[in-house]
Amino acid sequence: MLKIKNLHAKAGETEILRGLNLEVGPGEVHAIMGPNGSGKSTLASVLSGREAYEVTDGFVDFDGVDLLDMDASDRAREGLFLAFQYPVEIPGVSNMNFMKAAVNGNRAHAGLDPIKGTDFLQKVKECASLVELDGRLRDRSVNEGFSGGEKKRNEIFQMAMLQPKLAVLDETDSGLDIDALRVVSQGVNAMRSSDRSFIVITHYQRLLDYIVPDFVHVLSGGKIVKTGGKELALELETKGYDWI
Amino acid sequence: MTGSKESFTLNFKAPEFSEELRSEGAEFLQDLPVPNRKTERWKYSPIAKLLNGSLKTFGSEGLVWPEEILPDPVPFLNSYRIVFRNGTYVSSLSDFPVAEGVVCSPLSEVDSVEFKNTYHRKEWVGAMNATYHQDGLFLTVDKNVILDRPIVVHHLTDGSDTASFLRHFISLGEGAGAEVVVWCSATDASSGMCNSLLEGHIASNAYLVIDKVCNEGGEIFKFSHEHLIQERDSRLKINTFTVKGHWVRNELEILAVGAGTDSVFNGTYMPTGLEHVDNHTTMDHAHPNGTSSELYRGIVYGKSTAVFNGKVFVRKDAQKVNAFQQNSNIVADQGATINAKPELEIYADDVKCSHGCTVGQFDKEALFYLKSRGIGTDEAKALLVKAYVGDVISSVDRDEVRNEIVRLYSERHGWE
Ligand SMILES: Nc1ncnc2c1ncn2[C@@H]1O[C@H](COP(=O)(O)OP(=O)(O)OP(=O)(O)O)[C@@H](O)[C@H]1O
Ligand SMILES: [Mg+2]
Repeated sequence: MLKIKNLHAKAGETEILRGLNLEVGPGEVHAIMGPNGSGKSTLASVLSGREAYEVTDGFVDFDGVDLLDMDASDRAREGLFLAFQYPVEIPGVSNMNFMKAAVNGNRAHAGLDPIKGTDFLQKVKECASLVELDGRLRDRSVNEGFSGGEKKRNEIFQMAMLQPKLAVLDETDSGLDIDALRVVSQGVNAMRSSDRSFIVITHYQRLLDYIVPDFVHVLSGGKIVKTGGKELALELETKGYDWI
Repeated sequence: MTGSKESFTLNFKAPEFSEELRSEGAEFLQDLPVPNRKTERWKYSPIAKLLNGSLKTFGSEGLVWPEEILPDPVPFLNSYRIVFRNGTYVSSLSDFPVAEGVVCSPLSEVDSVEFKNTYHRKEWVGAMNATYHQDGLFLTVDKNVILDRPIVVHHLTDGSDTASFLRHFISLGEGAGAEVVVWCSATDASSGMCNSLLEGHIASNAYLVIDKVCNEGGEIFKFSHEHLIQERDSRLKINTFTVKGHWVRNELEILAVGAGTDSVFNGTYMPTGLEHVDNHTTMDHAHPNGTSSELYRGIVYGKSTAVFNGKVFVRKDAQKVNAFQQNSNIVADQGATINAKPELEIYADDVKCSHGCTVGQFDKEALFYLKSRGIGTDEAKALLVKAYVGDVISSVDRDEVRNEIVRLYSERHGWE
């Protein structure tokens, strides 16, 4: 599904990723943990094509295509989804128009006609109930005035709408109370399947009780420095990162 | 080479009404200089190229309305209408209100109109208008009379090297109300100048709403000057939308001559190619308890230029005034230019004034967010642009007018 080889990336003059390697197979869930500032969000950004970062070396194969060669829209259309650590507020663009444009952008890429109005609404209803997203939020401007938790739910709602092949969840659990965490995790779990993979970036083992990973990686200094099973997360929770 | 000031007006013919104003205009026309790059108010909007043309005014001869332009610029709007072509009134396409307390007719058919503004004494462009004005809207609404439908004032320019001069007069009595849509169209083959002036008096407790739309093809130099006088407790809302235009200068002057006035004025501009759009606004609070709210948003594309100059005066006795001004600009392409200048002069001490002026690029974070969901770059930008100017357009009260403005912008900028 995803093969990252020797990835180097910088922002301005700052080198952030320094030779990162990672392979994610279909249906797998990989957790990435690591200290603040180690490069976790940068990895997510580089994968999804944020322009602020420059890839200086390395290669990323995404299901047979050269990921780094495409612009952000095409990466998404190829099935990559990023749930933002800090979702962006876009005043004046309604959540529904936004989602419709996104769904149709993906459909056009797949050679499909725009979605029918009734089908779209049906889909919105299903996906919103998956993460218990309040109906009123759907009609507002994208993320505008949403609470932290509502923003995160909205990310998972969008993921459900777009049915990606690979989803990168960047700290989707931070800022969520325990109920919201359960709801969001259930939403993610409902989407787990043998051909959909997840990279879950988190600081908290708590999330991994809900979304049980196949692998846990430690990212530090721009590299994966340790890999283990789900028990590694528990170990990190008690011992911290210093012992690695 | 630039033509001379004298030869420029050689082929302009003045109709035979408002003789007094014309002769005064002619005097000032002689004395006033043509603005150039050194003239502060015209620094960013040079008009030297205009003088190269050899323009002429047209009369009513051979008036045939071109098929591709609808006489009704706002489809489905239930309105009255006064139509002009190249400055000349077209009676067959006009439809006036007939009601007690309302006088509405072409200016040329009114005996004498006392314009109060002195624009012709200050600017060459204004002197030309006073001297050569061909026609315009004349509207008076008596005390406590509310006009039941909006009046659409539609001016069309077609033909090359055309000079058109329009002069509109609106006067609302105490407690009266009116809505006016001032719409300018031009065919793609047209060129020349369209020079218009509007003077409006809003008596105490009256309200006036004006939506001004410029949607001109061709290569026209457009000068439009609005002078509005607000008496005690009156309300004004004037929106200025430049949808399309080769070279456009909108001047708006609002004078609050009584206490408790409310003035709302907004605008959008999105020039492309080599287009030029200039908005000069002046809000003058001379009395207490007034409020004003100004919002202008623009995006400059290609090699276009835009100018914004917004003056707000709060005079010494204008206590408790609440004045808000915001101008924001997006420079979409490298070759495009914006000159934005807010000018606030506040002499009263107990006032609330806020202003902001920004020049920036598209919000990169928002753009990336949209794209990361599979929305293409162009469509993502269109969504952002639509939201950005949509905020201003939403201040238009009439659905039909708002929808038509959005439709024209959409068509032009490929918003889907
Ligand atoms: N656009 C940028 N310009 C300059 N420096 C950047 C930029 N983006 C990230 N950095 C720096 O790169 C380092 C890694 O940042 P990143 O956001 O990837 O960390 P992180 O692992 O996600 O941290 P956290 O756990 O706090 O979210 C930090 O030192 C950060 O300041
Ligand atoms: Mg991060």
